[in-house]
Amino acid sequence: MQELDRRHFIKTATITGLGVYALAAGQSDNQSFPHVVITQNANPATLVKHAIDNLGGMQSFVKKGQSVLIKPNIGWDRLPEQAANTNPEIVAQVVKMCKEQGAKRIRVLDRTCNEPKRCYLNSGIEKAAKDAGAQVRHVVDSRFIDVDLPQGVLIKKWPVYKDVLDFDVLINIPIAKDHTVSRLTLGMKNIMGVLGGDRGQLHRDFHTAIVDVNTGIHTTLTIIDAYRVLLRNGPSGGNINDVEEKKTVIVSADRVAADACAADLFGIHPQELEYLQNAASRGLGVADLEKLNIRSIDLSA
Amino acid sequence: MKRFRRISQILFLLFFLGLFFLARFPYGTRVPSDLFLRFDPLIGLVTALSSRSLGLLLLPGIFILLLTIPFGRFFCGWICPLGTLIDINDKYFVKKRNISNSFRDKKLRNLKFYILIFILLASLFSVQFVWFFDPIALLTRTFTLTVFPAFVWVVNGLFNILFRVGFLDEPVYWTYDLLQQSVLPLRQPTFNSSILVLLLFLLILIATIISKRFWCRNICPLGALLGLFSKFRILNRYVDSTCNQCGKCLSLCKMNAIEDDYSSHVVECIECADCVDTCKPGSISFRFSKPNDNNKIDLSKRHFLQAGTTGVVGAIVLSTTRQAVSGNAPLRPPGSLDEQDFLDRCIRCQECVKICSSTGGCLQPAVLKAGIEGFWSPVLDFSSGYCEFSCNLCGKICPTGAIQNLSLKEKQKIKMGTAYFNKDICIPWYNLKDCLVCEEHCPLPEKAIKFDIKEVEKPDGSLATVKFPYVNQDLCTGCGICENKCPLVGTKGIYVTVLQQGPESFI
Repeated sequence: MQELDRRHFIKTATITGLGVYALAAGQSDNQSFPHVVITQNANPATLVKHAIDNLGGMQSFVKKGQSVLIKPNIGWDRLPEQAANTNPEIVAQVVKMCKEQGAKRIRVLDRTCNEPKRCYLNSGIEKAAKDAGAQVRHVVDSRFIDVDLPQGVLIKKWPVYKDVLDFDVLINIPIAKDHTVSRLTLGMKNIMGVLGGDRGQLHRDFHTAIVDVNTGIHTTLTIIDAYRVLLRNGPSGGNINDVEEKKTVIVSADRVAADACAADLFGIHPQELEYLQNAASRGLGVADLEKLNIRSIDLSA
Repeated sequence: MKRFRRISQILFLLFFLGLFFLARFPYGTRVPSDLFLRFDPLIGLVTALSSRSLGLLLLPGIFILLLTIPFGRFFCGWICPLGTLIDINDKYFVKKRNISNSFRDKKLRNLKFYILIFILLASLFSVQFVWFFDPIALLTRTFTLTVFPAFVWVVNGLFNILFRVGFLDEPVYWTYDLLQQSVLPLRQPTFNSSILVLLLFLLILIATIISKRFWCRNICPLGALLGLFSKFRILNRYVDSTCNQCGKCLSLCKMNAIEDDYSSHVVECIECADCVDTCKPGSISFRFSKPNDNNKIDLSKRHFLQAGTTGVVGAIVLSTTRQAVSGNAPLRPPGSLDEQDFLDRCIRCQECVKICSSTGGCLQPAVLKAGIEGFWSPVLDFSSGYCEFSCNLCGKICPTGAIQNLSLKEKQKIKMGTAYFNKDICIPWYNLKDCLVCEEHCPLPEKAIKFDIKEVEKPDGSLATVKFPYVNQDLCTGCGICENKCPLVGTKGIYVTVLQQGPESFI
């Protein structure tokens, strides 16, 4: 009983502490920026541009001369309209904004589920990102490095792609979609794309494993693409009838907050997602929508 | 003339290699990678006989045959990439023979005609042996199963070392990316048969020790076919009166085609023009003339009969092995013809295997999976890869139509097999834990893997809600991604077989 109390105390303390810290960080600039920005009803590029601008602009996340790793979801050999991969226009816009900040190197990659070349080509991301000025690379097996996860509950060590450790900035751009195991696949799930090893093993206790690996990876910015969302038969989809246009982009420096807002968009309370609660209780971010300063912007006007 | 011949040989070899390297995803509308195979008249002839149908893709072979009638075996001397490799090997790796043409047994060269007879008669009985002997199929197979994987292995090994040199990381990654964009596959399957294929290829090269172009002189059935068609050729080797009978050309001739009276045997001469250049007085030239009568093919009746009988008996005996296979039919590439038609046409060139290794990577040359008759024919192996849902490249590259060239829409409806759960080890069924990696990867828009959510009691008495997967057999196409991605190591929790036990079908 006593132990439970202590754990509860630490939990509360961490969440509160992090919330205060986040608020303080937001207010350290003259202007106060929200935790999460949600933009709606415009084309993908405009959505993401406005969202980032309202979160303090790309200059808050990317400094001149920094290297930026962009991790979209390119997991499947599907077309953009099938909504299994991140929207290529969003990726291109983010690349452009990083370039404007004078990033020295912008690299886009993902460890795919289908054959990588097919995914890169048919998702449209390879071309869009290249045209916007990024390097698009395939994941090379010998560039994974075992990373210790001292905060891991089940997983204490897992191979992570070298660039994640080397690059200054990691921008995670998942597409929000249905997922039979995690219910939704959002930002934290998308991080699996920079992991090596046999990722199928992570499915064995998904809700703990996904948080474990996230504790070892620092995400600068999470941009959730909910322009087209897959409502059923995710994560690979394939049926246009399962796709709905939500024309929404969610941006936050807090990956848990971003995921929580995305869940809300699907009508799922963040409380219902075990891994989100797990992540929040372990101090990865804030999952409680009440505690978050969220700015929603409708761009249709 | 010899120089032109060499340039032609090198250009065609490079062309062959270029086409080979282009056989990868995304395989666009460029020159088809199986071009050499399509221009091979022997493949066209034999597969037409064995399958009793004309393969349209193989009609270009007729073009070579028609050109051979006036011009002789120019294909062997000027084009055949295997011939070129044999020449290169001879020039750089074989110790100079004292008498370079000591092996003058002119009887042995008849062997290739017997092999041709054997193949043709067997094909009349619908058993196709050309795959083993055809030089172009043989070379493509050697490159796909041994040379290319070895090349990839060496390059990857080199880069594995380079990637460890910290400060070089970026330039190395850049270079590696460039290679991946151009030639390297992202994941190269390996092949059990590679050693055997390599041995056969090496034997052909090693035979050069016995005589130059040993394979072409004595074994190659394509050479035999082209030889038959060049009997009445009008482009002939001509020796004028300045010949001082020094005998140089006699010992130099690759094909042992020059007779003791300095005339040449038209069926054997491949117009390499070595003799033209070596002749000091300049007495030798190639000219158009009326057909030369030194064109006899002196086959013994007995051997003819032996070869033909071997073909017929071989075909019949091999046909009896089909029964043994039919109960355990192999999984074939999408769009493959019915098993028997497939084997009648498949020349085991491994073009499909090559192109598949750049995408799904599931095609493997069978060793015994497809029976003796199906040796080295492509089968699906889901430990090696899986069939990509949006890929139809194996059908696009097949030169004989053994795998049909289907549109993507048609291919996606093809049923290659059906998946079954092995519930004794599948994680949800055995461990009562959620997994669904198979369902996650199932590429069908409707999902052939479905699941029931049930509350169950675990062995320790606790209750758990578990998603139990099952297969909708009517939807499943047998692409094998579920088997390939199943997180169980060793025996998989789901597997694909050709059997269909659905409610609609009889066993």
